[in-house]
Amino acid sequence: MSARRTPTPARLLANGLGLVVLVVSVFPVYWMVSRSFLPRNRIRSDEQVWLPTDGTLSNYDRVLSGDGFRNALTTSLSVTLLTVGVALLFAFLAAVAVSRFRFRGRTSFILTLLLIQMIPAEGLFISQYKMLEGVSLLNSVIGLTFVYVASVLPFTVWTLRGFVDGVPRELEEAAMMDGCSRVKAFFTVTLPLLAPGLVATGLFGFIQAWNEFTLALVVMTDPAKETLPVWLVGFSESRSRGVDWGAIMAASTLITIPVIVFFLIVQRRMVSGLTAGAVKG
Amino acid sequence: MVRKKKILAFAAITALLGVTSACGSDDDDPATGGGPEEADMVVWLNGADTPQEARDWLKKTFEEDHPGSTLTIEEQEWDGLVERLTTALSSEDQTPDVVEVGNTQAPTFTTAGAFSDLTDELDDLGGDDLLPGFVEGATVDGKTYAVPYYAGSTYVFYRKDLFDKAGLEVPTTMDEFIDTAVALKQDSGEADFSGYWLPGQDWRDGAAFLWDAGGDFATGDGDEWEGTLSSPESIEGLTTFQTLFEQASGAPADANESDPVTPFCAGKIGMMSRPGWVLGLLSDPEAGCPDLVKQIGVFALPGSTGEPAPVLLGGSDIAIAAKSPNQDLARDIVALMLSDEYQGILAENGLTPARESLATLLGDDEYAQATIEAASNAKLTPAAANWATVEGTRILEDLFSQIAQGGDVEELAAEADDRITEELN
Amino acid sequence: MARRRSAVRPNALPLGLVLPAAALLVLALGYPLVRQVVLSLQEFGLAQQFGQPPEWIGLDNYRALVGDSYLWTVVLRTVLFCFVNAGLTMGIGVGIALLMTRMSTWVRVLVQAGLLLTWATPVVAAMIVWQFLFDTQYGVVNSVLTALGSDHDGHSWLAEPISFFSIATMIVVWMSVPFVVFTTYAALTQVPDDVIEAAEIDGAGAWQRFLHVVVPTVRPVLLVVLLLQIIWDLRVFTQIYTLQKSGGITRDTNLLGTYIYSLGIKGGDFGTAAAAAMFMLVLTVLLTAPYLRIMFRQEED
Repeated sequence: MSARRTPTPARLLANGLGLVVLVVSVFPVYWMVSRSFLPRNRIRSDEQVWLPTDGTLSNYDRVLSGDGFRNALTTSLSVTLLTVGVALLFAFLAAVAVSRFRFRGRTSFILTLLLIQMIPAEGLFISQYKMLEGVSLLNSVIGLTFVYVASVLPFTVWTLRGFVDGVPRELEEAAMMDGCSRVKAFFTVTLPLLAPGLVATGLFGFIQAWNEFTLALVVMTDPAKETLPVWLVGFSESRSRGVDWGAIMAASTLITIPVIVFFLIVQRRMVSGLTAGAVKG
Repeated sequence: MVRKKKILAFAAITALLGVTSACGSDDDDPATGGGPEEADMVVWLNGADTPQEARDWLKKTFEEDHPGSTLTIEEQEWDGLVERLTTALSSEDQTPDVVEVGNTQAPTFTTAGAFSDLTDELDDLGGDDLLPGFVEGATVDGKTYAVPYYAGSTYVFYRKDLFDKAGLEVPTTMDEFIDTAVALKQDSGEADFSGYWLPGQDWRDGAAFLWDAGGDFATGDGDEWEGTLSSPESIEGLTTFQTLFEQASGAPADANESDPVTPFCAGKIGMMSRPGWVLGLLSDPEAGCPDLVKQIGVFALPGSTGEPAPVLLGGSDIAIAAKSPNQDLARDIVALMLSDEYQGILAENGLTPARESLATLLGDDEYAQATIEAASNAKLTPAAANWATVEGTRILEDLFSQIAQGGDVEELAAEADDRITEELN
Repeated sequence: MARRRSAVRPNALPLGLVLPAAALLVLALGYPLVRQVVLSLQEFGLAQQFGQPPEWIGLDNYRALVGDSYLWTVVLRTVLFCFVNAGLTMGIGVGIALLMTRMSTWVRVLVQAGLLLTWATPVVAAMIVWQFLFDTQYGVVNSVLTALGSDHDGHSWLAEPISFFSIATMIVVWMSVPFVVFTTYAALTQVPDDVIEAAEIDGAGAWQRFLHVVVPTVRPVLLVVLLLQIIWDLRVFTQIYTLQKSGGITRDTNLLGTYIYSLGIKGGDFGTAAAAAMFMLVLTVLLTAPYLRIMFRQEED
């Protein structure tokens, strides 16, 4: 954007504030990561350890020993990636329809999405359990994914629709005048501009599915099929019948990493890849 | 794209079927005995409380007794257990056959018909020898739906060295206990030191003082219940709690009891009421402080008459899922879990056996004695069907915490009574 | 034939595009939602969950709920909490997103990474860390404040409701800001450079460019995000529940989320829980009505 032309004082101010935001937002995360290197009996103590220079990896040892973490990671990755993929595809199609076309049922579709978003989901898990039980999809990645997609879809459609609305129709029309078909104009002009929106909503879906607890708890009862959050709570409690904070901190640090990796990959592929395409197009 | 569509179509069809079958599957005849002679049985045990040795013995013995059948133990967590049981026990396909459930959680499920009736088996399983408080707690309208698995109530851990330093003896009555707690704190001269560690929200340990004074949370029977926290006896007990908190405890008034290890290992605790397994945590070089553990002694909290005080009865029940198709095999598993051999393994690991006659298996050291004494006079929370709501709305945490913060005991107790009466009826 | 085609085609394409999403939603949520409504009209507890036939009791669940004066205290508290939190989250989030457009690239990348870390931290872990920070006896905050000369040794942050809700707000805002920043920033980067340049050439000042070019582009996304914040902040549960357990008087700090949970799920009374969920739905619709009206009018045009 216009950042390049901003006079230096304004930029400096923005940078300064940005660093403040960084410190404030990261501090609790830093506290989590640094606690993960402390033995259990030093995590809560009168003496505050600001930097664990004499840290230990024993918390990570406990987390990674056994199959628990690996199994849970596999389940969580499959469910989450499937959820993001299916949700983004379906939502993208629906968002384009809602934003670019007028058709009968459009308004009611939009309002229904909104209402679904407003329904409190807390008590819903029992009914959803009954439903998955009826179709023998308990303890199954497909079953859990199915329900997760439904829960992130309304948001995803809504937000993507906002992004599609944000792309001026004139841009497409200009391209059509240049001789592109409508579909081609859409793919070469509009789609690249939607990349940030796809990343943002995809990230949202990823984190929702990645961190969901209650439904995963009741649907995946087979210990070999637990997702990461369910495994985390169980693991941290069962080991020694006290709350094992060190293990929680270490496991949480490990659980956070895939989200960052996902973001980096998607960010690079989609934003740079697609906008580069747009420039060429 | 094509594959995605296929998934959708699959999901569509299966979900459609689901709607219909889920609507039609509400049959309501709980199985009573019977079932095939061979099956793959699933047992849910919670946390790591059951030692591995016991698990191996159970699996081996059951599979030898029943060639062709298998037994799988799936470890569940206490956190979220009620949600899992609520859903899984209602499903014929998914239900485990035998489950462990906390003794205070059991009434929630026994009154709901989630467990099979074990009344006829009771005599074979031990009869009067079974820990009475547990059987009572699992009995509805004369039918018993769960049997005790093991018990474990809290008893007092104390620092021998601090007792010596202050010239104190192990107290034998409630009054002596309170004096000792206060004296320990005075001797230390530190504000955050606990002569007796008592976090404000800890009504489960606070209950002992209420009951010892002759008070209770509620009285009644059947559908008619009334909060009794403002009775003179209850007020006396709650006032004792307040005195102890103000003069002997250094724990925060609004904290819970989940972490005794940190203050203990920092040398800030003279006495504390905790379940036996906390010792393991304290002895762990990573989690605790093995050096201080050498100074630990234990005793059962004394009551005002010198008998052990009535502490909250803790422990687990075992029950058979009503929806399990393998009722006979499940009964055999329960019988094995109450057998001398199996209970003996639990006792060796410090858990109070489910049958009174087996208590000797605990051994005769200090810990065994404190365990047995504490359990001998232990009490349950009121057996009202809606008691879970009282705990769910956290009325008692609020009450005890506000008393610890220095609130007016009579006023707070009267308020809590109103709320308890409302929730129980 | 040709006429018929042109009459059908404009509808067929969009309907086809909407179909997958719509079908999936109907399949996955249809049955649970209908059942939720049915439950709210029944006496449905654990006994019914395990097979006893439920009894129809009409609106009794609703009556019991609405007749409880405590509920209205909680509703008021919840709405207040929601507005404060949604307002703060939006203000801070949009502010940061705008700042990001003005930062040097390396700072922006750092800020993005930081916020992403925040967002990605599992809720269980985040709550434990926040409790560590504000712990009465071993908290960093108390020890830092005490070291700075103010006597906070053993200060309990959760005992007083006002202080309790301040901490809760801090945590909720901390957890929700990244989502607002990422979405808003994505929308901001979507404003095509050449449009801004064109406006600049037309002589529009920075503020005018912002008002007439940037805001209209970002508006649809911002409205959705605001709406979601309101919906989510009305339902805050985990943060309050965890803080109540580690301190604080439950009755003085209940919000609708925790209250309904204690009534319904904890007490095994699913009928009441379902009625409460319906009640919350109505409350949400009422609170967002002005927005819904604007939106509905736009859609009709």
